[in-house]
Amino acid sequence: MRLVKVLLLTAIALASLGAQAQTKEIVNPAPTAKDWSDIAKLPDWSGVWNPNITDQDKQAKTNMPPWKPEAAELIQFQLKEEKAGRPTPLFTNCLPEAMPAWMLITHNAMEILFTPGRVTMLGESDGDRLRRIYTDGRPHPDDPDPTFHGHSIGHWEGETLVVDTIGVIPQAWLAISEAAGVPNNGDMHIIERIHLQGKDVLHDDLEVIAPNVLTKPWKTTRIFFRQRARKFDIVEGVCLEGYNKPDKDKYGNDIFVPIQHEVGGNRVPPK
Amino acid sequence: MRSLLGKIIAAGLIFTGLGLLNISAWAHHSTTMFDHATSVTITGEVKEVQWTNPHVAIFIYGTVKDGEAPALWLMEMTSPGNLIRAGGWSRNAVKKGDKVVVNFSPLRSGDKGGALKKITLVDSGKSLTADIRAQERPNLQEEESK
Repeated sequence: MRLVKVLLLTAIALASLGAQAQTKEIVNPAPTAKDWSDIAKLPDWSGVWNPNITDQDKQAKTNMPPWKPEAAELIQFQLKEEKAGRPTPLFTNCLPEAMPAWMLITHNAMEILFTPGRVTMLGESDGDRLRRIYTDGRPHPDDPDPTFHGHSIGHWEGETLVVDTIGVIPQAWLAISEAAGVPNNGDMHIIERIHLQGKDVLHDDLEVIAPNVLTKPWKTTRIFFRQRARKFDIVEGVCLEGYNKPDKDKYGNDIFVPIQHEVGGNRVPPK
Repeated sequence: MRSLLGKIIAAGLIFTGLGLLNISAWAHHSTTMFDHATSVTITGEVKEVQWTNPHVAIFIYGTVKDGEAPALWLMEMTSPGNLIRAGGWSRNAVKKGDKVVVNFSPLRSGDKGGALKKITLVDSGKSLTADIRAQERPNLQEEESK
């Protein structure tokens, strides 16, 4: 009898240890056939999406974020510099444009992939421009490691993907153009409602909450339009390639050699 | 205490200094260093094409003004992907040795560089644009097939 009791207690102890281990280790389940078939019910976002740059230009003048005074002063300085032909080189180091600037001011195409529990955005630039948006119901981590694109969770409200992003590095620009922007300086929260607006136009309705540089949340809609022709498919876009040009070494091997650039981002022109 | 603006200007000066040492990298940048209100034409021969991200460049040896000695000029453009979508471009659309006429916005600095607007290949008469905003409509292939 006593042996049974001991065995029972041991079993309970082991089971409780197992339960503890389970709460520590969350495993992403393998997708089921239903998970895959449910994807067919989502709106069709296939194809190549290009940004409407003319609208970006317009909003740089008509939809100014509610900057705090120091940020507003910097933006006005940058706008004057740009007008004078000395654009501030915000994005000249080949680091990703990051969130939210990718959505706000990019000139490059992207594609959007649906897989079970995930929406993935892939950009045609920087070599590593990528957003992973988890739609599997997970919460944000309590203390996410800051990254260029942050930690994004999403859910579908009808045909609209609602995305919540935190954990963006404080250095990421809150930019209104390629030459005017302020680092978000941390604690940024971005809410997006992404949806088709007509057959081949995608709208990203953004709300940017950046308490260290804005006096209140800022709303903007960014427009992308679709191409389906195969000749317009996304191509590789390794930004650092522009540091170099193809050449031969002394053995006749194909190599890259560094080339010179000006501070504004262009190659050094002949004098 | 230094203002944020003061710090940014100081950082900018340091950055400019580094740039003069050619350490600067580059990527997605504004193009107001080019005078977009001015259009200049160069006639000459393609010396080199750098079909690379993030910006394609073409070097042209040619003449801007009649009577001037020919010289080497640098033409900057957008990315290969954007150029393909702007219409007609490919890696081999313009090649070394091609005779060309190019319309461009010149650098404000007076150096021999510009932002290419349109290039015409003399032998075929074919013209290509590098205007990224020329493609801001969906389904361009449907327009082309009409």
